[in-house]
Parts: sequence; structure tokens; C-alpha cells
Amino acid sequence: MKPRLVNLAWLLAFAALATLPQVLTVKYYLHLSILALIWVIVAQGQNLIQGFTGYVSIVQAGFMGIGAYGSTLIGIHYGWPIWATITAAPLITALFALLTGYPSLRVKGHYFAIVTMAFNLIIVIVLVNFRELTRGEAGISNIPKPWDGGRDAYFYLALILAAGTTLLAALIARSRVGEILRAIRQNEDLVGAIGIAAWKYKLFAFVISAMYAGLAGALYAHFQGFINPEIFGVAQSLDAILAVILGGSGTIAGPVIGAFLVVFLPELLRFADSFRLILYGLILVLATIFMPIGIVGVAKTLLAKVHRLGVRHDR
Amino acid sequence: MLNRTRAGAFALAIAFAVAASPSSAAEKKLTVGVADALTGGGAVYGLPQANAVKMAADEINAAGGIKVGADTYKIDVIAYDDKANPTEATNAVRKLIDRDGVKYILGFCCSGSTSAVASFIAKEKAVMLVGNAAERSITTQKIPNLVRTRPPADYTGQAAGTFIARKGHKRVAVVGALEVGFYSQYVDAVEKELKKAGGEIIAREVFSLRDRDMTPQLTKIRGLNPDAILVVGYVEPAAFVYRQSVELGINVPRYGFTSGSEEQFLRVTTSEQMEGVWDLRPTELTLLSASKNGIAYHENYTKMFKASPSPSSPYAYDQLYALKAAIEAAGTADNTEAVAKALRALPVPPQVVMQYQPVDGKMFDENGQAYTSNGAFQWQKGKWVFVEDLPSDAKAYSLFLSTLK
Repeated sequence: MKPRLVNLAWLLAFAALATLPQVLTVKYYLHLSILALIWVIVAQGQNLIQGFTGYVSIVQAGFMGIGAYGSTLIGIHYGWPIWATITAAPLITALFALLTGYPSLRVKGHYFAIVTMAFNLIIVIVLVNFRELTRGEAGISNIPKPWDGGRDAYFYLALILAAGTTLLAALIARSRVGEILRAIRQNEDLVGAIGIAAWKYKLFAFVISAMYAGLAGALYAHFQGFINPEIFGVAQSLDAILAVILGGSGTIAGPVIGAFLVVFLPELLRFADSFRLILYGLILVLATIFMPIGIVGVAKTLLAKVHRLGVRHDR
Repeated sequence: MLNRTRAGAFALAIAFAVAASPSSAAEKKLTVGVADALTGGGAVYGLPQANAVKMAADEINAAGGIKVGADTYKIDVIAYDDKANPTEATNAVRKLIDRDGVKYILGFCCSGSTSAVASFIAKEKAVMLVGNAAERSITTQKIPNLVRTRPPADYTGQAAGTFIARKGHKRVAVVGALEVGFYSQYVDAVEKELKKAGGEIIAREVFSLRDRDMTPQLTKIRGLNPDAILVVGYVEPAAFVYRQSVELGINVPRYGFTSGSEEQFLRVTTSEQMEGVWDLRPTELTLLSASKNGIAYHENYTKMFKASPSPSSPYAYDQLYALKAAIEAAGTADNTEAVAKALRALPVPPQVVMQYQPVDGKMFDENGQAYTSNGAFQWQKGKWVFVEDLPSDAKAYSLFLSTLK
């Protein structure tokens, strides 16, 4: 697909999403759309480390938790305005990511995944047990919401931030840094052999990915008005991984589609009652087996085939 | 001839339609929502609660529905699974309010998911009736359109502590889901009463909802030689504690705060392993302590769902009867503010199962909190047997609750 057409498709998608508050008469779908946009940010961050760099990180929800609690607690204890705490959240998360990323990125493959999962578990344990600060399992209620909880305005905030982070991910992917990240995914030893310090680039991807999660966590906290440790467990980190795989790993559009699927699919399956989760699991398993390149990957393959057919006909 | 027949049939149809119209116009549908844990770890509480609401709706409909002026409302129930997860609960309630147009939402077995919904419900034209969720802060926020049928955990903990102290225990070891706020609140209240009597808690061992092997915690406790053990937590892990304490040869009195039915415990333990265990909890549904309503509830539930009801499930059953009485008292099913106010002014309806202790003659106090009596139940030969009431002062606790934020 030509770059101009790609850009046009993105603009159309943005415009279509921007009309949702006017189009959706049932505000429940707007609520889900806001959650999905928050998950777009989470998934784009996950894609930087997983899709581009080839390191499967299982700590994205944990970093979301750090962002959510960071933003909330700064607001409660220091009286910062919401905008300042939302801005601070990714920076706080970046600090934690630097501290945890340096040692964990010394290992590769499954070991890296296990180490990051352990970090996620530690984050949850701290959130549960440091009750003096986090109020433990009971969670923190009545977190301030901008615009007095107005969902239309919050939708646009989430949309702008999701679009901004997607654009940033695209810029990173097209830059020299993005090329090096992809090279690390293909052959890390070779990257090292030509004199590039791969660890710096891996750490960069890990920290940026965590910052995305931190921002998403803060957005989640001020949207829902309530947080507790359960929301930021390993299961949610797996959802971030799934969003990337389902949508299309290593693509920019993939995490967007994947995020909407991860949020909407379980809700749309509510008709199935107690079989809902079995159905959801089944769909995920089948999609992962039969579409390992994700929806965007399949779409690209189909478009390429159509294009080739068109060229043949022209001859 | 044919035309005459057609005309006759047409006239007859018109007559039927006219005759039928007054009653159909006056009979309306009131949809109530249930948001509860229908799957996952919280389902031991959530699923029976959802069933209880459906059963209450059937009973009310069979008895003629809810009477509001000239109108009669028949109840329709929509139940969504929240998996005891805050995000899922928010989604489920948003769906009920925004998409299904529901104004009355019942259920709510678990504290995390309930707190998430409570954080936004004040801004909605809806009424939220909370059941088994025992986290104290749910009713300290004084949300005008929220009431809860189950008393907070520390209200029961205070009474339990007095009971344990009276038994003469000085060194009590605790094992439980202490990461969960309301369980730790219960234990804190027990400790306070123990200290008054010169006793102490010598260990606080933790298990999580998914833990099944409690031998490390119990081995440590056994080494401390306690006078008694206190087990607080969800039914299934608590049942494993009781079973494994016997297997490890721990032979001291065992107290608990679990609210599990015989059936639920016997899935994990044997009756012999449970023998002598105390459950110090609100006087919930136990046949030997039940009123006529309780016995009928147990029978009907068992018949309808082919399983015994959990002791805490009537919290949700009672919600619907309280709601019915409030709607009838308010004279409206549409004005949620009026119904919420009527709930706060409501005497205990005669159909309820739990044994409520009214505060100033009302089922719910100014915080929206209801209080049941607390009871000491003991496992004797395969059954929970009600032994005695625990000393509880609903009025005093209500005053204390009003001081909290």
C-alpha cells in the first residue's frame, strides 16, 4: 500500500473515531471505546518491546499500576491538578522501568518473560501489602475525574493521546532506532558484532513501553475513579500481549485493532452467560493458531495478492 | 354470509382487544439488574446471590407484582457476570444503566468490584443495593442512592472477639485472606476485644484466594502452640485450612469467619475434619436459626436450583423485597431519588430472611447500612448448628460508622 493511501486510511480512521460520541446513542459503547483507546496506548507500548524488539514483556499491567497509583497518590497527598499528575505518571513509570529493565534485559527469550512476570507479581504484592500508602486490596475510591466525569470530553482526551502515542510509535518504527530494534529482533548477536550497543536500544524500548503503560494507567484511574491491585495483575499483562498478537505484531495498526478486540470481545460475548470466557478463550486460541501474523498481517497478505492479480490483468 | 362471518369475527376481536386493554395498560415491566460474580473465585457468593434475586422476583410476580398506584409492575431480572473484578463490574453496570435502561441494580458479593461501582453510582439516576460485600468503606461514603444489607466485617469482628475472649483464649493464631481489607478489619476488631481481656494475636499468616496448600502456615502456627486458631477468608481456602489443620494434628479450638454452607465445605473436607469448628458471623441462613421465612427460602431455593443456598445468599433476596417495599412506599418506580429516600426510611419488610436489627425502627441507617444480629455457629455432626447470639449493638456501631469518611 502506498504511503499516501496509508496516511489517508489513518486520517479516515481518526475522523470516524472522532464522530463516535455523536453517533453512539448508547453511552455504554462510548465507555468501552474509552477503555479501548486506553488499551491502544498500552498495546502500542507493548508492541515496541514485543513486536519490534522481539522481547515478550509480561509487566505492562504492572507498569499501568505504577502510573495509576502514582497519578492518584500525588493528587491525593500533594494536591497536584489532574493534568500534572497524568503528565507525571509516565515519568514515574520510566524511573521504575530503568531500575528493572537494566537487570532483566541481560537475559533473553523465555527467561526475560519470566523475569518481567516476576516484576509484575512484585508490583501487585507491594500494592496489596503497602496498605498505609495504597489502601491495599480495598483500593482507592473517588479518584477525581476531569470535566466532572463527562464521558464525551474524556473520549476525546483518550483519542488524542492514543493517536499521539500511535504517531510516536510510527515515528520510532520508521527511524534508525526502529531499524535497530527490528535488527535486534532478527539477530541480536549480529547487531552487537557490527558495533551497536544493543542493550541501550533494548532499554530504550523497554522504558518507552513502560511510559506508555504508565500514561494509560493514569488515564484509567481518572476515568474509572477507582483502582485496586487486582486491575493490574498478570492477567491484564497477558491481555496486552494478546492485543499485539491478535492485531498484528510489529505493525502500527495491529495494536489499535487488537486493543479494541481485547476490550469489546468479552463484552460482546456476554450473551453466552457462563460460557463467555470459554468462548473468548477459544477465539483467542484459534486466532493465535490460524492467524499468527494477526489481523493486519492477514490483511496485508490479502492486499498483496489482490495487487499481484491486478498487475497480471494489466499485462 | 361470509362477509357477515368476517364482520362478526372482526367485532369479536375488537371486543376482546377493548376488554383486554385496561389490564394490559396497568401491568408494566420493571427490569432490575444484577451485577455479581457468576464465575471465578467469587462465584461461591455471587452465583447464589443472583439466583436469590431471580427467586424473589418469581415470588413477587406470582404474588401480584409491585403495586404503584393503579399500576402493577412485574419484575424482570437481567444478570451480568462481573467476575468480582472492578473493570468487569464497571462494564456490567454501565451496560445495565446505559444500554438496558435499568434503574435498580442488586447483587454485589465482593468488595473490590462493589467499590468500583460505588465510586460512580452517586452520579447516576439509579439505586444500588449491595449484598455480601463487607468492606466497611462502601457505606462510610454516605452515597444517597446506595444501601447494603450485609453489615461491615468489623461490626461482626467486635462481637466475635468478645466471644473468643469469653472462651478464655489468650494466644490466638490467625490464618486468612488478610490482604483483603474487610478480613483484616474483622481481625483488627477481634484483636481489640482480645486485648481488653488480656489476650493477644500471636501470628497473622496469610493465604490468597487461590491457595490450596496451607501446610507451611499451619506448621508455623503449630510451632507457636496457640490456644486457638482463627480462620478468615473465602470458603474454599478456609476449608483447606480446616482439613489440613486436622491432618497436621493441631488440636485446639478453631474459629472462623467464612459464611460457607455445609455443601460448600464438604466439597473439600470431611464432616469429621470440620467437627467442632466455630463460624462467628452475621446470623445468616442456617436452618436451625432460621425464621419461617428462612426455612421456606431454603426449601424453595433447593427446589428451584437443585442445590442448597449459601448462608449469605439471602442478602440479595432481601434486597428485592426491600426495593419492592420502597417503590410501593415512594409511589413511583421511575423516580430513583424518591425510591432511594424511601429505602432509608423503610421498616424491615416482613418477607425478609435475615434477622435484621433495625436502627431507630429502620432497616437501613443514615449511612444506608443494615445490621443483622451476629451468631456463633458450630459444626456438629455434619451441620452448622446455631449455638448463641453474639453480643452486638447495631445502634452504637451505626453511630461509629457515621463518624467515618
